[in-house]
Amino acid sequence: MKRFFVTAVCFLGMATAHAQEDLLSELDSTQVADTYATAPFKALQIVTLQTTKMAAKNEFYFVVSHRFGSVEDGISEFFGLDQATTKIGGIYGITDWLSVSASRHTLSKVYETGVKYRLARQSADFPVDIVGYNTIDINSALEEDDYPKLEFADRMSYITQLLVSRKVTDRLSLEIVPSYIHKNLYNPELENDNQFSLGAGGRMKLTKRLSLNMEYMYNFDKPDFYVNPLSVGLDIETGGHVFQLLFTNSQSMTESGYVTNGTGDWGKGDFFFGFNLYRVF
Amino acid sequence: MNRYLEIMICIACLLLSAVIYGQKYSTRSGNLKFEASMPSFEEVAAENKTASAVLEPTKGDLAVLALMKGFRFKVALMEEHFNENYVESDKYPKATFTGKVEGLDVSKLTSEPKTYPISGDLTLHGKTKKITDNAKISKNGDKIVIVGTFTVKPAEFNIEIPKLVSGKISDKVEITYNLALAK
Repeated sequence: MKRFFVTAVCFLGMATAHAQEDLLSELDSTQVADTYATAPFKALQIVTLQTTKMAAKNEFYFVVSHRFGSVEDGISEFFGLDQATTKIGGIYGITDWLSVSASRHTLSKVYETGVKYRLARQSADFPVDIVGYNTIDINSALEEDDYPKLEFADRMSYITQLLVSRKVTDRLSLEIVPSYIHKNLYNPELENDNQFSLGAGGRMKLTKRLSLNMEYMYNFDKPDFYVNPLSVGLDIETGGHVFQLLFTNSQSMTESGYVTNGTGDWGKGDFFFGFNLYRVF
Repeated sequence: MNRYLEIMICIACLLLSAVIYGQKYSTRSGNLKFEASMPSFEEVAAENKTASAVLEPTKGDLAVLALMKGFRFKVALMEEHFNENYVESDKYPKATFTGKVEGLDVSKLTSEPKTYPISGDLTLHGKTKKITDNAKISKNGDKIVIVGTFTVKPAEFNIEIPKLVSGKISDKVEITYNLALAK
């Protein structure tokens, strides 16, 4: 009986307190917070590898990237700047989770088309972003004079990557990239036609608008001739655009060239300077 | 007294409290807009259509809550930078207002908007500031409609605008609210 009165008084007390309490607390329950992790990366690329960031619906990104010649060549090649290779292309967001891309690369005169699709997003309920990335490269530099039996299919390479990232803190984001590359034309003395590799990368924000990026790719099917790519970059967000300055030991900007045909050597000062530039429309 | 009766009385008490204080007007689809554009530059504006608000009509107490991630921009990248760098939505997910409509008498409201002063605390980006505004309040059917505009400065809420874009973003942000509250 006594317990009942205590309970009843408590309820009445609660009701009175309720009236005096801030109206605001009533509103809290009416809002369902969006817990998706915002912007694990500033740009679409860590350095050369893709990030889990997607172009938004109807956004068009115009991309210009350069990788210069080896810094090792010194002043006679102006530390590589005389030997620029260029990637020029575009990325279009069909929806927020699906985008398509096309680009032309100076190196090996490659045409690249790609599709990027988000499979999962990091939120309070799920620990990571998962994005799939596929590209097809067409090497148009191959000449029939050099390869008399050349067929169109020989120009093709196929790349499949899974990008898995986690925004660990506001400043630190990490990504792992399992990757499978198939080349129709390859030099069996130097490489394999199917190459599996596993990459890891991340970014550390130094300030709100500046971040230090790094990535490395370990190739399980690589004979000794080529090196595994290791790159560092700096993202500079200038209001609307992101500008990425970078150094890498793998000059190519296609996924297949970057991962499997790196030729630099950090230890000998044989590495490449470059940048990625995006303009969003 | 049996257990069943005890529970019934408790529920009755709860219901009674709900009836006494249940005459509030509220909405979950309040509209908030802000505009920080500079002439001849890209539009810097966003709209939140899911603000919630509640009005206690006898005293005129008003509370409004909006999630920062609920603000939609025309440009997705602008929205991302707004959340990431300007208002830091992960750290400060909500904007709130608690205040009072002075001299509100619901029975005298008509479809013709009347001006009432509203004053209270606006909390945004972890900072609270007193604001006052003259709102136009009208009655539309069963709904009380509160409409108005006021201006705040990002600096007052510790929202930093980098020098590089300071020419493109106004240092006076105009906030427009339109709340249609129902019983």
